[in-house]
Amino acid sequence: MIAPPFDDALLGRLSEASGVSGGEDAVRRILIDDVRDHVDTLEIDALGSLVARISPAAPRSPRSKGSRRSRRGPHVLLCAHMDEVGLMVFAIEKDGRLRVRRVGGIDQRILVGQVFRVGASGLRGVLGALPPHLVSRPEREKVISIEDMYLDIGASTREEAERHVAVGDYACFDTAYEKWGSTRKGKAFDDRVGCTVLASLVKKRPPVPVTAVWSVQEEVGLRGAGAAARRANADVAIVLEGTASGEAPGASPGESAPLMGGGPALTVQDRTLMADARLVDLLERTGKERKIPTQWKRPGVGGTDAGRISLSGAGIPSAVVSVACRYIHAPAAYLDVRDPQRVTALVWHTLESLRKEWT
Amino acid sequence: MSALPGVPGHEGPAAEAIAKAFSIHADRVERDRAGNVRGWIEGTAPKPRPRALFAAHMDRIGFLVKAIEPGGFIRLTELGGFDSRTLLAKEVVIHSSPPIVGLFATKPPHLLKKGEADRVIPSEDLYIDTGRSERDVRRIVPIGTPVTLRQPPVDLLGGRLAAPAMDDRAGVAVLLGMLEILHLDRPEWDVVMVATVEEEFGLYCLGAKTATESIDPQLGVAIDVTHGDMPGVKEGDTYVLGSGPAICVGGNIHPLVFEGMKRSARALGLPYNVEGCPITSATDAMDIQIAREGVPTGVIGIPCRYMHTGIETVAPEDVDRCARVLAHFVAGLEPSWRAEEVLK
Repeated sequence: MIAPPFDDALLGRLSEASGVSGGEDAVRRILIDDVRDHVDTLEIDALGSLVARISPAAPRSPRSKGSRRSRRGPHVLLCAHMDEVGLMVFAIEKDGRLRVRRVGGIDQRILVGQVFRVGASGLRGVLGALPPHLVSRPEREKVISIEDMYLDIGASTREEAERHVAVGDYACFDTAYEKWGSTRKGKAFDDRVGCTVLASLVKKRPPVPVTAVWSVQEEVGLRGAGAAARRANADVAIVLEGTASGEAPGASPGESAPLMGGGPALTVQDRTLMADARLVDLLERTGKERKIPTQWKRPGVGGTDAGRISLSGAGIPSAVVSVACRYIHAPAAYLDVRDPQRVTALVWHTLESLRKEWT
Repeated sequence: MSALPGVPGHEGPAAEAIAKAFSIHADRVERDRAGNVRGWIEGTAPKPRPRALFAAHMDRIGFLVKAIEPGGFIRLTELGGFDSRTLLAKEVVIHSSPPIVGLFATKPPHLLKKGEADRVIPSEDLYIDTGRSERDVRRIVPIGTPVTLRQPPVDLLGGRLAAPAMDDRAGVAVLLGMLEILHLDRPEWDVVMVATVEEEFGLYCLGAKTATESIDPQLGVAIDVTHGDMPGVKEGDTYVLGSGPAICVGGNIHPLVFEGMKRSARALGLPYNVEGCPITSATDAMDIQIAREGVPTGVIGIPCRYMHTGIETVAPEDVDRCARVLAHFVAGLEPSWRAEEVLK
């Protein structure tokens, strides 16, 4: 079977939607609209993850031999997280300024001078910084702490601010999705690119029974995926991710990997997971057979939902396939759209391989 | 205007757009030898009429491409003063033909070494990633290409506006506002609005200096941004956004011009601040004042938060008030008004 196409336009819509961990609603709504007509069941679980079930078409020949599993293949859990890193408003000052805290891992040094969209209304706020004219030289050598930062929404008093914003509101980066050549620029590619690959996959009826999970709260400790996996009770899991490329001037090949445009990045090991060796082998072999270039994600770095999924219930053999993105967890990241196209194809063909040979 | 390029020495495209905007109300618009854009309002007094010069700089701070490194990463040199801490992860426009987009690249937190996040990255270690191949970058981007921060204008509550280059496109907007008033309400003096070049170059204000030399005005005023209220700054160093323009006093400013601007603000019932400029105003007024045989000069500032970042924030009503105060002031000048006195 031919693999389904990667939905570039959907990535654009998802990238521009706000979905800081715990506030994934806008992302979830886009995904519901996108996949509703293509899946057998669709539900939102107790923690907020979006879960779809889709089974292959009934076997053409009723005379097929073998057990139900060998006919239909293993039940595969595919997972991508909806949430992104961002800020939360935790206090409103008398003069209308908003004090903020980080949600997920953000280098505080990148925050000053950025524009954010605050709350459900998407009100704009700027994260102010003193002008260089008013900062002494020694002071400029110091990193500005998030404790000293604030969002300026233009309000002059607390009352004015409170008409538009409440404590607990999320703020996300205000970044337009753009493309040139095969490059795509946008925010939250970690993991809206995985979300898009997953939606692209389920829009065609897969060769094995699939539970698709768009999970919540990955960035604050892999909180959503475990519960969804426990409920799905699948035989094998593949997590779809946007991962960090380390390309930089003067970086060694080891530091640079995985490369943007280098094809699907396969995980051997990260801080949360020893990937299932048979599954990794199958992914790599499928890539070779289908002439899809693959690369290795740098081991030991980062963690994904696969860490939780692999431990759920009696344990689920798990692997991670990632798109290498530059500058994740920052306002604007880059990816090469050929990578998610290849990830979509690789995972699709791996589902076919799983049907044939997974026991 | 915040979207127009125009680092010092590369004001061309900005000048074209500003000349077009000037020409709606000005009697005559010209681009002078230094590159300044001048928009004239002819006065009503019999010739030869005295001339008043109002200057706002149209250049903006930015960068030039210094080198292209393996991998297509771009190193920059600064034009104007940035705090390198405010540049990380910001998008930029590289003004090649065609212009392309890039960003100040930063390591994701996953790859930071221990303690790395506690250190400031000096500006010489910053670089731009365009998301293009080295071959493409070398083909498209010549060394010396101007680069500016890329940030669409952001509307904040209370009508406030955050955008790059408010320093000093907000001042150019004041010139436009003055033209709009003065073409109907003619002063006796000839008035020339000058959008100047190279104020941010640093050593001297080339545009203001050359324009004053050739125009020979009897009065000069520089319009620029001043610091808006921000936490962490002592009171008196900044002016509240929306509290009206800051009229400057100090050695760079002629007392008669200072008094005249204040009088106009009071006559119009408009709020204003007084800003002390003990040494220099660090504006075009520096070079207007000492050109030729000396020019009585004033300085007026628009409160602006977060200066020299991509989110310079102003209250548009301050821009409007500034234009009205200056138009009133110049319209009230007698043809015989001179700062100099003949004593004997």
